[in-house]
Amino acid sequence: MRITSALAAAAIVALTAACGSGGGGGSSSSAPGEPVKINFLSLAWQKESVAANKQLVDEWNKANPNIQVTYVQGSWDNVNDQLVTQFAGGTAPDVIHNDSPALSGFATDGYLLDLKDKVPAELKSDIPQAAWDTVTFGDGKGGQGVYGVPFLQESQVIIANKKLLDASKVRIPTPDNPWTWDEFSEAAKKMTEGDSFGVAWPMKSPVNKTLNLALNFGGTFFQTGADGKTTVKVGPEEREVLQRIHDQLYKDKSADTDALGMGTADPLPAFFKGKFALLPAGVFLRQQVAEQAPDGFEWVTLPGPKGTTAQQGAVSQTLSIAQDSKHPDEAMKFIAFFLNGPNQAKLAKGDWLLPTSQSAAADPAMTTEENGWDVATASAKNLVVAPFLKVNGFDEWKSKVATPVLQEFYANKITIEEAAKRLVDEGNKVLERYQR
Amino acid sequence: MWLLMLPALVPVLLFSVGPLLYGIGLAFTDARNVRNHETAFVGLENLVELLGAADFWSSFRIGLIWAVSVTVLQFLAALGLALLLNENLRFRGVARVLAVVPWAMPPVVIGLMWKLVYHPDAGILNSLLGTDVNWLADFSLALPAIIVVGVWTGMPQTTVVLLAGLQGIPKELYEAGEVDGAGRWRRFWNITLPQLRPVIVAITSLDFVWNINQFGLVYVLTQGGPGGQTRLPMLFAYEEAFRYRFAGYASMLGLAMAIVVLAVLGLYLWRQMREAR
Repeated sequence: MRITSALAAAAIVALTAACGSGGGGGSSSSAPGEPVKINFLSLAWQKESVAANKQLVDEWNKANPNIQVTYVQGSWDNVNDQLVTQFAGGTAPDVIHNDSPALSGFATDGYLLDLKDKVPAELKSDIPQAAWDTVTFGDGKGGQGVYGVPFLQESQVIIANKKLLDASKVRIPTPDNPWTWDEFSEAAKKMTEGDSFGVAWPMKSPVNKTLNLALNFGGTFFQTGADGKTTVKVGPEEREVLQRIHDQLYKDKSADTDALGMGTADPLPAFFKGKFALLPAGVFLRQQVAEQAPDGFEWVTLPGPKGTTAQQGAVSQTLSIAQDSKHPDEAMKFIAFFLNGPNQAKLAKGDWLLPTSQSAAADPAMTTEENGWDVATASAKNLVVAPFLKVNGFDEWKSKVATPVLQEFYANKITIEEAAKRLVDEGNKVLERYQR
Repeated sequence: MWLLMLPALVPVLLFSVGPLLYGIGLAFTDARNVRNHETAFVGLENLVELLGAADFWSSFRIGLIWAVSVTVLQFLAALGLALLLNENLRFRGVARVLAVVPWAMPPVVIGLMWKLVYHPDAGILNSLLGTDVNWLADFSLALPAIIVVGVWTGMPQTTVVLLAGLQGIPKELYEAGEVDGAGRWRRFWNITLPQLRPVIVAITSLDFVWNINQFGLVYVLTQGGPGGQTRLPMLFAYEEAFRYRFAGYASMLGLAMAIVVLAVLGLYLWRQMREAR
C-alpha cells in the first residue's frame, strides 16, 4: 500500500539522523597533516555579489593552505528547509549564511554554535551593539547567546522618479529631515494625475515590510508578559502604518492597486514607464533600478518616512557556525577574515546593502551620492532590532497568519478590525505551540 | 520456499515496511526536528490537535477539491482523447505519441513550464487573452489555475489506460448493436461504458490516490500560496515537518491522510464492485 510522502520523508530523515549520528560534522573531517576542510554555504545571488563572495574565498584559500574553504551555493528560497534536513542528517555546512529572523529558531533548537566567546575583539568592536542585538537569542536553556555575525543590513527607502518628483514641487526629503507620513501621503496625492499614481506598494510578501515600518509609530506587534509568554498585540501604534497605506490605496487613491500582488522588483517596468512616482523598497532594489533603467531615466533615493520616530526594524544577513562543525575555530577565523572592514565593503557593494562594520561604512564607496549610497548608508542609523526577531514561532505566524491577513487587508477584503482580530487570535494560537 | 522469497522480502521490509512503521510510531510522539529535544510518547495528543486545527481542515478541504476535480476532469478529458485516438484517424500514431509527452516530463519541469505560462508579465496566457492577471497570486484563481495544470499532467496515463481498455472491447458487440439499430450515443452508453467499467474504476482510483498525494507540482507552482489557498495536505505536512519542525505532528497528518485515502477508496471500490455484480 502506498504511504503518504510526508510520512516517508519524515521517516527517512529520522533514519538518516540515526545512521548519521556517528558521523557528526558531515563532510568536514580530515586526517592529521592534511588541510582542514570547511564548507561555506553562501546565499549570494546577485551577479556582483556572487563574484565578490567567490573572490574572497579564493583569496582566503591562497593565503591559508591549511584551512581550505569550499564555496557551496544555496538559495534564499529554500535555505531553511535545506538546513532543517541537513542539521537533522548531520551534513550541515560549517559556515552558514542566513538572516537573523531564521537564527532564532535554529539557536533555540540547538543547531548553532554560540559565538559569544569566539568572536575576535577586533571584529566585535567594528560592529555596533545594535547589530549584535539582532543575533542575540535565548539558547533554549534559559541563557543568551550570539548565534551569528551580522554583516549586511537592509533599510527601507523610497526610490523616486526624479522628473515626476520635481514636477510635483514637493519638498525633497533629506536623511536629516525626512518626510513625515503625512507629508509622504500628501506628496503621493500631488503626484497622482490621470492614470499615473503617486506610489506603489508591492505587497506579495507584506509582513516584514509592514512590521519594519510599523516601528515608525512604535508598533512592535509582539509583547512579552510578566509570565514570560509572548503574545501578539495590534493596538493603535501597530495600526498607524497599516491604516496609512490602506488610505493611500483606497481613500486618497494615490497608490497603484495593481502592484499589490507583486514582489518587490516586479513593479519596476511600470516604474520606468512613469506609471507611478514613488516606490518604497529595500535599499538593495537600487541595484536593479540602476541596471534596468532605460537610458535617460532619472531616479533618486529618498529616506524612508518618519512617524513619531524614523526608526525601522533591522534584519541582518549573518554568518553562523553549525554546532556539529568539527572545526569551529578555523571556521571562526575564516569568518573574521571574510567580514573584516574592507571585505564587508566589497560584499555590501556587491549586494547593494548596508555593511554593519563601521570601518566599511566609512568607505568612500558607501557614502558617494551616486546611486543613492549616501542616503542608503545614512538610513542605517535609524535601524533598531526588529522586535519580531526574538519571537519563537514568528516564521509560522508570518506564513500562516500574517501573510494572508495582511494581503487580504491591503486588497480591501477585510477591515482593519477583522485584520487585527485575526492577527491576534490566530497568532496567539500559533505562538502557544512554541511556548509549552 | 521462504528462502526464495527472501531477496524480495528484505528490501520490502527494510525500505518500505520499516520506515512506514517508524512513521506511524512517530505520529504518537512529540518528536521535533531539533537537536536538543527529548522525544516523548504523547498518545493521541497530535490527533486531537490536528482535528482541532482550522488550518488542517482548510488544507484538507483544498486537498479534496483538488483531488476530486482533477480526477474527474482528467477522466473526462482523457476519455474524450482516448475515444478520438481510437478512431481511424490520419497520423494517429503521431497523435498518440504526442498525447503521452507530458508523461515523460518530471513534475518539477512541468511546474516551471506552467509558471512561465502563468507569468503575470511575460506569460503566454496573459498575452493570449490580452489580460493582466497574476494567476498564481490571486486568491480565487490560484486553485483553478493549478487544477488545470494537474489535469494536463495526469492526462497521458489515464488516456493510455483508457485507450488500452477501448481496444479490448470486442468489435462484435458494436456490430450487433448496429444491427439492432443503436445509434452512436446508444452504443457508447450501453456498450463502451459498461465494457470499460473495470478499467475506469481502476484508473480513477489510482488517479485519486496520486492526486491527493501530489506535492512536487504544486510546490514548484505556488508553494501553497497565496495565503494557503493551494496548500494541499502534503504541502501542509511538509511545512509542519521541515519548516516548523514538528515531526510528530506531521507524521500524524500523514497517517490521517493515509487513513482518509484508504477509507474513500474502500468505499468507492466496494460500491463499484457491488454494482458490477
